[in-house]
Amino acid sequence: TRLYASEAAGVPVGKLVVNFALPHESVMANKEVHQVDMSAVSGDLGVLADHVPTIEQLKPGVLDFIGDSGSQKYFVSGGFAIMNPNSVLNINAVEAFKLEDIDPQAVAANLAESQRLAASAKDELTKEAAAIEIELYESLQSALAGRAK
Amino acid sequence: ALGQQTRNMATLKEIQTRLKSITNISKITASMKMIASTKTTRAQRAMNVARVYGKTSGDLVEQAGVQKAESANELLITVSSDKGLCGGIHSSLARQSRKYLAEHPEAPLVVLGDKAKMQLQRAYPQNIKSSFNQIGATIPTFEESSEIASTVLNDKDVVFDNAKLMYNKFVSAIAFETSAMEFYPISQIVESPNFKAYEFQEDVLTNLNEFLFANSLHWALVEGHAAEMAAKRTAMENATKNAGDIINRLTLQYNRGRQAVITNELIDIITGASAL
Repeated sequence: TRLYASEAAGVPVGKLVVNFALPHESVMANKEVHQVDMSAVSGDLGVLADHVPTIEQLKPGVLDFIGDSGSQKYFVSGGFAIMNPNSVLNINAVEAFKLEDIDPQAVAANLAESQRLAASAKDELTKEAAAIEIELYESLQSALAGRAK
Repeated sequence: ALGQQTRNMATLKEIQTRLKSITNISKITASMKMIASTKTTRAQRAMNVARVYGKTSGDLVEQAGVQKAESANELLITVSSDKGLCGGIHSSLARQSRKYLAEHPEAPLVVLGDKAKMQLQRAYPQNIKSSFNQIGATIPTFEESSEIASTVLNDKDVVFDNAKLMYNKFVSAIAFETSAMEFYPISQIVESPNFKAYEFQEDVLTNLNEFLFANSLHWALVEGHAAEMAAKRTAMENATKNAGDIINRLTLQYNRGRQAVITNELIDIITGASAL
């Protein structure tokens, strides 16, 4: 079930400040952007300044940061995005790469391999792991295709 | 020096052997210091990033205004490693852990690293619920941290609400401070005063709890590693300096001894010649 905020936000801040951190890299710190589009488990959403505070679990998919200089897209493996009452958006992800750094041929090759593994797997664990990989590579493919448009 | 035995060929040989051995040791400690120095630089870089990651993750707890529940079960996690020759790193962790366990004798304990485990096993064997090793050779990765977090959370023998992560905070290249990092479970975060402002799906809360736990553990492991590398560098530097001091002292002793032997030989020859 979805729980809604029962307290109204305080005074609107007016700007969206983003902290985007990976365990091995601080991608963005205190960066001001206009909007962040993300792919959450509960659905896709776009966050603007003073968005209602929310806790979202990220699916493997695209994070789009839209600022003054245009949009910067990253593919994230998963994590959490938390929008706070002070208009600060905190994103912790495990892995993230710029879409332009991802090789479509490698993705296609890996997807074929995972599909083969899923078909030939004998035990549940291998089958489930392969299914997760397939979901990831298909998501990567649609992200790369979306970018190509 | 007065009162010392007369130097003869045999004791000179002993001093020579000692000198050779200590010179070798000082070469080893000097190279260990160089290695630790390089590792410290890398470990510090990783720590700075891990701190940002950990602080970002812990912001929700700050903003929500979480309070520890009165009757909460607390788990003590001692974040140590398998490697030695790093000064007071492990004994400081063991001391603070023993202090906590003296105040909370029933608390479950998870030990990361063989060094602290050895020290705690003697005093509080019944509190140790599980332990991990293969820690300390390299900078901890998030994969390792989340594996440990996962194992601890799934362990039926370890029942806890809050966790206290005892780790060494990196203060500077020459100083560390054993500190406790607090972990609050999602159940307490949900009860906190400012949490009403947040919208969320109930089914992500368990995942959030696991994620926050892994993130805290990762910060403690990476910072602890940096503190350890810096302490190792300092320890090796001191060892090399001490070895150098001994070498100087022994060399002086050797030379004085050698001169005494020569003088005695000369005296023997001269007295022998004058007797003829």
